[in-house]
Amino acid sequence: MRQSILQSDVDARGLVIDPRTKLLLLITMAVFVLGSVGIAQLSFINPVLCLIPFCLLLLSRRIKVAVVSLLIYALIYLVTMLVMPHTTGLINFLLLGTSVVVMRLLPGILTGMYVLSSTTVSEFTAAMQRMHITEKLTIPLSVMFRFFPTVADEFSSINDAMLMRGVSFGGGNVGKMLEYRLVPLMTCSVKIGEELSAAALTRGLGGSVRRTNVCRIGFHLADAVVITLCAAPYAGLLLSRCGVL
Amino acid sequence: MIEIKNVSFSYSNSKAVSLSDVSLHIQKGEAVLLCGESGCGKTTVTRLINGLIPHYYEGEMFGSVRVGELDVSKAELYETARVVGSVFQNPRSQFFCVDTTSEIAFGCENMGLPEDEIGQRIARAAEEMDVIALLRRSIFKLSGGEKQRVACASVSALQPEVLVLDEPTSNLDMAAIEKLWEVLLLWKKQGKTIIIAEHRLHWLMDICDRVVYMSRGKVETDCSMREFILKGDNRLTEMGLRPLYLKNFAHMNGSRKEHGGSIFLSDFFFCYKQAKTPALDIRQLELPKGKIVAIIGYNGSGKSTFARCLCGLEKRCRGILNEAGKEKKAKQRLKCCYMVMQDVNHQLFTESVLDEVLLSMKEPDEAAAVKILDSLNLLPMKELHPMSLSGGQKQRVAIASAVASCKEVIVFDEPTSGLDLRHMKEVSENLKQLSEQGKSLFIITHDLELIFECCTHILHLENGKVIGNYPLDFEGCKRLKLSFGSTVETDFIDVRKKANFTFNCRLQRANKT
Amino acid sequence: MNNKLNAKDLINVGIFTAVYFVLVFAVAMLGVIPIFMPLLCVIVPIIGGVPFMLFLTKVKKFGMILIMSILMGILMLLTGMGYYAIIVGLVSGLIAEFVYKGGGYKSASKAVLTSGLFSIWIIGNYIPLFTNIEGYFATRQSFGQEYIDALTGLMPAWMCPVLLVAAFISGIIGGLFGRALLKKHFAKAGIV
Repeated sequence: MRQSILQSDVDARGLVIDPRTKLLLLITMAVFVLGSVGIAQLSFINPVLCLIPFCLLLLSRRIKVAVVSLLIYALIYLVTMLVMPHTTGLINFLLLGTSVVVMRLLPGILTGMYVLSSTTVSEFTAAMQRMHITEKLTIPLSVMFRFFPTVADEFSSINDAMLMRGVSFGGGNVGKMLEYRLVPLMTCSVKIGEELSAAALTRGLGGSVRRTNVCRIGFHLADAVVITLCAAPYAGLLLSRCGVL
Repeated sequence: MIEIKNVSFSYSNSKAVSLSDVSLHIQKGEAVLLCGESGCGKTTVTRLINGLIPHYYEGEMFGSVRVGELDVSKAELYETARVVGSVFQNPRSQFFCVDTTSEIAFGCENMGLPEDEIGQRIARAAEEMDVIALLRRSIFKLSGGEKQRVACASVSALQPEVLVLDEPTSNLDMAAIEKLWEVLLLWKKQGKTIIIAEHRLHWLMDICDRVVYMSRGKVETDCSMREFILKGDNRLTEMGLRPLYLKNFAHMNGSRKEHGGSIFLSDFFFCYKQAKTPALDIRQLELPKGKIVAIIGYNGSGKSTFARCLCGLEKRCRGILNEAGKEKKAKQRLKCCYMVMQDVNHQLFTESVLDEVLLSMKEPDEAAAVKILDSLNLLPMKELHPMSLSGGQKQRVAIASAVASCKEVIVFDEPTSGLDLRHMKEVSENLKQLSEQGKSLFIITHDLELIFECCTHILHLENGKVIGNYPLDFEGCKRLKLSFGSTVETDFIDVRKKANFTFNCRLQRANKT
Repeated sequence: MNNKLNAKDLINVGIFTAVYFVLVFAVAMLGVIPIFMPLLCVIVPIIGGVPFMLFLTKVKKFGMILIMSILMGILMLLTGMGYYAIIVGLVSGLIAEFVYKGGGYKSASKAVLTSGLFSIWIIGNYIPLFTNIEGYFATRQSFGQEYIDALTGLMPAWMCPVLLVAAFISGIIGGLFGRALLKKHFAKAGIV
């Protein structure tokens, strides 16, 4: 069976940090690395931030992903620093494009990967609840995470069916190919979705009482470290705006 | 406990009446079996009791439904949920969470119970349903039987008075049914009221004390289980019901046909990524050609993997199929094999039945397509959208497209799960017909009745290895019954005395926690 | 009918967002090749139009489209694409919501327009590549003027409105495509 996007085997995941810390990390990455709000005097901070997801991936036993992406990142970084100044024209242009996309997007995407692969749905909803996010968002969110693997499964079953019918690529025009894939996908999803809602409703989802949550979340040492690291660039930004730096 | 008074109902998207003037009074602590052909309205009755009708499935409803003090058709669903717990047919789609512990906690969380209390209830329900080993696991790594037990635990944690089960065994093997039987027995002992809609009757003989037989939206017979058993299997067959005793089967399909050549498989080896043990490990295998081969074995024994490798869907499987001297690798097998999936919705793409068949032909030939449709009784529906057909008809459309694409080997994945007697016979007729056309058929199934109805050969898998490969002759029948377990060969009451004992021990443990 | 969103509606939102996102995600794999990046804002709305139009047939109350927009934004944040999609999605989702409401939650032409408006959320993903080029290079003066020129050349500021219009138009095309499929298949199959 397919591995779910959100982690669900609770016991097999190394270091655990609070979902709220992860969210802070994501936003920090989005602001400083992806959005590149830079502080000239503190230019070393971005690379440091970029190292966080690698470390976290390592600590949560995703060693292969961490090492491979670190290598890619390092390679692109070196090429940007060493090779690119000596190129011109088209090659320079291509290198540049790649480097911008990789250097800006990769750390963010890795953080995203880390967050998704290390959080259980109930931890996530618990955190959302602690932050007083309305049920109107948490219910669809948890359904959605539950549904990803299902959609992926359906998708691959449909692909298999198309292979056996000999109607995969090449057989016809793009529109038909899309149609043959999307139509069964939609019908199956709607059907499963209906059954899923029925099952959830008969177990009292959507009641007027406030939901409780069994999973325990909270801040620990690792959270403190990550939070401090995340706070640093904001502090730097603040200081530089105030003219201290 | 449950009072259904003169209820008539029709779903809003269909013209047909699902229930007409149904009245049913069920006492507290009763266990009621609802049976009847597909579409007789038994599922609709379960939905009346758990409130999904009229709150979720909309339609026109008359009459009243009360459970205890609660007027179900007026009360909100989450109020009904405290009193009525439901287990559904498809284990794949009844889970709201992704891990088992959260799933068991889900109902309690919705009720807003305190966290400590939920913890205790989880422990208790897990102990009762024997799912402790499954706690904190991913739902997607469980087998169908395990999922169904987790679903039961989740319902049990809510401690409802009434339990409603809608065809819970459709996707289960014999061992899993046996486990589910234990669960029901426990609920019965706890004095819960149980309503179960089922096609497979044999496992419910000592659970249910009352049988309600429905037909065309009406209650036809309402009698005690004892009376029902006395009717005998022949009478049940007339009523369109599956038999109560599996041991009475004795057909010997295997011996009546002459040998028609063989297919040789070699090096069928397959290991899923991140799995330590191979899911399939077959060095050499000889199977009859042009016959109907049943592939049996427990959930997770490698049946589906075998089918996928046979059809060439797993490219990493290096196995070779040798038929009359011609060797076929995965890629070539993809061209000559076809699988009718358990969920046929995956393989219907076009907007009409006729198009579906034409799409499968190399050279679209309408006359030939019409002929194929005719042979499968699909001609009247040739202009209809495949998705608007009934389950059995969809399956026939899939078969038609397999025939149209001149596939020699056709694999069926659980073609009769959740089907009643009549539809099961229909499927078996289709299979026999295909076999007469010289196709080699492979059928993954848990359905002993289907096997005796049409199969001629048995392939028994366990842990990815072949542990039985024999024709279904006299000896074969015996062996098959043996491998299907105790429930078939003996009167299962004896066997269940033993089960009862182990299970009482567990009950005591559960009460302590 | 009760106008407050109930559990059934919320579950529907979740399911369709999941389908929508999986499709977006599958298509976005193309974006790994940098040249395809701008093209994504054409392909994604066209393909997403199909589940979205089917979703709209289930929308009968205020808020469902908006929630779906916000969810897409959150997903973008979670997959490391930045927080801008939430902000854009909030605005475009709200406008889409009002437009569809204006059609009484059933007008077919309004539905197509809604699909176009909804698709604008995707612009949020490109914003970090436009904004703050100067700030970005303030820290990277060592790269040389050629680099900066070339980068601003790859993603010139005028591309921003172009992408926006492209997303909107492709959303409408996707909506039309979705509506065609609805008529052809889903209505006949009895799931609408």
